Amino acid sequence: MIKTDVIIIGGGATGCGIARDLALRGIPHCLIEKGDYAAGATGACHGLLHSGGRYVVSDAIAAKECYDENMILRRIGEKCVEPTGGLFVRLTGDSKIFRERFLRSCEEIGIPTEIMSSTKALELVPNLNPEMEEAIRVPDCSIDPFRLCMLNMRTSEIKGGLSFIRHKVTEIVKSHGRCIGVKATDMVSGEEKEIHGNIIVNASGAWTNLVAGLAGCEVPLTLSKGSLVITNHRLTDMVINRLRPPSDGDIIVPNEAVCLAGTTSLMVEDPDKISIRSEEVDIIIGEAGRMVPHFNQTRIIRAFSGVRPLLKSQKLDSREISRGFQIIDHQNGMYSIVGGKLTTFRLMAEKMVDTIMNAFNLKRACETAERPLDGQDELSGYPLSKRLSDMKNIVCECELVTRREVERIISQTGTRHVGDIQHRTRLGMGPCQGGFCTFRALGIMHDMDILTAEQSVQSLREFLQRRFRGIRGALWGDQLREEQLVEYIYLGILAMERNK
Amino acid sequence: MSVIEYDVIVIGAGVSGLTAGTLLAKHGLNVALVTTGEPTACLSTGCIDVCSVSENPLQAIVSLPQRHPYHLISIKNIRQSLRDFQQAMTDVGMPYEGSPENNRRVLSAIGTFKTTCLTPVTMQASPQNEDEKIHIITFAGLKDFYPGYIISRHKNASFSIYDAGVATTMGISANFENEAFLEAFMLWLEKQNIREDKIAFPAVLGLESASAIVKTIESRMECPVFEIPTIPPSMPGRRLFNHLKDHFRRHGGVIYWGWPVVGVEKSGRKIEAVIAESQGRPNSLNAKAFILATGSFVGGGLHANRDSIVEKVFHLPVFLPGKRETWFDHDYFSLSHGIGQAGVAVDSDFRPVDCPWDNVFACGAILAHTETLKNGCGHGFALATGQAAARSCLECIR
Repeated sequence: MIKTDVIIIGGGATGCGIARDLALRGIPHCLIEKGDYAAGATGACHGLLHSGGRYVVSDAIAAKECYDENMILRRIGEKCVEPTGGLFVRLTGDSKIFRERFLRSCEEIGIPTEIMSSTKALELVPNLNPEMEEAIRVPDCSIDPFRLCMLNMRTSEIKGGLSFIRHKVTEIVKSHGRCIGVKATDMVSGEEKEIHGNIIVNASGAWTNLVAGLAGCEVPLTLSKGSLVITNHRLTDMVINRLRPPSDGDIIVPNEAVCLAGTTSLMVEDPDKISIRSEEVDIIIGEAGRMVPHFNQTRIIRAFSGVRPLLKSQKLDSREISRGFQIIDHQNGMYSIVGGKLTTFRLMAEKMVDTIMNAFNLKRACETAERPLDGQDELSGYPLSKRLSDMKNIVCECELVTRREVERIISQTGTRHVGDIQHRTRLGMGPCQGGFCTFRALGIMHDMDILTAEQSVQSLREFLQRRFRGIRGALWGDQLREEQLVEYIYLGILAMERNK
Repeated sequence: MSVIEYDVIVIGAGVSGLTAGTLLAKHGLNVALVTTGEPTACLSTGCIDVCSVSENPLQAIVSLPQRHPYHLISIKNIRQSLRDFQQAMTDVGMPYEGSPENNRRVLSAIGTFKTTCLTPVTMQASPQNEDEKIHIITFAGLKDFYPGYIISRHKNASFSIYDAGVATTMGISANFENEAFLEAFMLWLEKQNIREDKIAFPAVLGLESASAIVKTIESRMECPVFEIPTIPPSMPGRRLFNHLKDHFRRHGGVIYWGWPVVGVEKSGRKIEAVIAESQGRPNSLNAKAFILATGSFVGGGLHANRDSIVEKVFHLPVFLPGKRETWFDHDYFSLSHGIGQAGVAVDSDFRPVDCPWDNVFACGAILAHTETLKNGCGHGFALATGQAAARSCLECIR
């Protein structure tokens, strides 16, 4: 049995942020995640570090929180934040009244804005719709949620925090009505672990109610599915928003070599049973295409959905529900933290840990806003010069990742999962979506004795199923052509079969 | 615009197009083939899959669904097309082994067995079960071949690594064409003290002289040697294409390489010419008949929009397997994705159904209801339909 002070359930941005905050305040902790870091809504979002503009009209508090956090994260997370700036674009027919309210609210909260003529906006982003009326510049940024989680966990690791990924919590252990620990099953080996702690934090996002249920508690949530598409190149260097009340497909975010566009908002019941429909994809492309016309001809390499855990509300349209967050004290040693958004994850973690410190009757101020994220120097950036340094040994042609880089990540992290290499190097993130390079990466892992041959074949099989889930929603045009080729390679040339 | 006259123009340089063109050229017709570039055959294993759903390919064909285009050809003619192919390949020094009555197994680069009908002689010794004792030779830094995958299924396999100085399939293959390289390699190989019954290589044993190189290694090592097809770029696929291409040219065929077809000229119920671009300039290729052999999606004959599928040269009607949502199953390993049915449907003369012109024929992977992966009917289907379309075309002209 493992003993610690705080058990965190959930390895999304909130859970990882809490782990970092606890680490910096010297509190022993253990994080348990059933999948991988950022596997839920954290990794299935735009990667937009909001300036607050999107919520400024409807929810001033959330908007102010976003703006303040945006300023903090740019400072502490240089390697995972790209200060792109953003534009709110007003197209013909979009409400002028909304524009006035938008500008007034930004001024009240203190979000800096700059009104631009369409000519000026086109100079910044030449792909914009030349028919637009005007654009308003705001300090939006692009953020890499996978790196964000990894870097937060790095601090936890340095300070001796524990973490178990691919471990599913199956039981909350209680004694005299109080939660004193959890039982978790290793999803790979099937082995069971028992971990005891004084406080349990339920930060499991869309799964919050399911986890709370294990302790006999209830957290009423509205689950809202949001779908997104990824283009195969970068159509804009700035975040593009539509200047209108939040609606479908009105955000485009550049991220390294690609762009993400979305979202939709549909209520769902079960966070484990979601899939993307072709209608959603068509809506996103149509709407994004109104802001950036080239979007209609651009190759989409992936389409996916995430589930936002929103506070339960009577409101029928999930977009009207507050994006604020809430900490629920179940009065039995367990807390649930719900709502909020990626941009405000650090603030949520701070408030959560303040509550924990209070419960422990300890005093130590939060330092997460001042200290830069640990481990940023270990990350490889995107510079082309770096990627082309070893041309002969490139294993991922789409994203120019070399064999040496893959080997470095494997020996540095000891990872057995190809996803970990992906999020650190962008291996497999390009147009073929890992069709060629994953076969190689797993072969290299076997060469390095990290995986047995059987495990590499099994991982390859799982990867292909996972990959297919991501690209199935984007299969037409060149992406369909690429998919047919990859299918021909694995099922034809390599005669791969599904698991017997 | 330059104007060039032929009897028949074949569009597409894959196995079906080259087969159709060769048959017509053999009958004394003036044939030209126009292509945007290398066909998907170059990505293939080079093996001739006729129909892999059961042990006997010809019987398997009989059991295919009624609308499968194989049923438009007599078994006798299917046999004939395979025989002609084997003869042609023997003539060019790359014999193909096997018979249309028996499928055989070829070891894949992941250790599974691929079912096929005819194999290049360099794969003849491929093991037929997982217990055979094999020794795999691989090459330092070769990024598309990992013997570990094979050893996971074959307990009696082991491997050694040779440093060829280069690390790509193409580079190593080119090296094997060099006698000094081959000699140095042989000296190394002979020192390896190999005790297994067979020696396996990724398919990098030369460009065009692979069968001779395999023979050399076999006689020096006194044991069977075979190649394992790799993921693209695949040398056996390129060899197949190059030999078929040479064979077509030897019979008088002309190839316009790198000439994408960008338009057609028509008059009444006839196509009069296709317009092909060469370095941006249009050329009119006139002919009495046209054979469409542009392949499926990968080959570029078909293109999927979000709500439709188009045939790119003549804009012929395309069989659409329902709405986009139904094109793919949710399971990756399903071989029955709806999209496998997409293509150009043809009548018994291999004329596209509802085609506004009488002198257009279609063959190969562009045909509807083929389901190439599910039925394991790749190049074998291309050979048979290529000949069948050419025969109808011949009748049409005469």
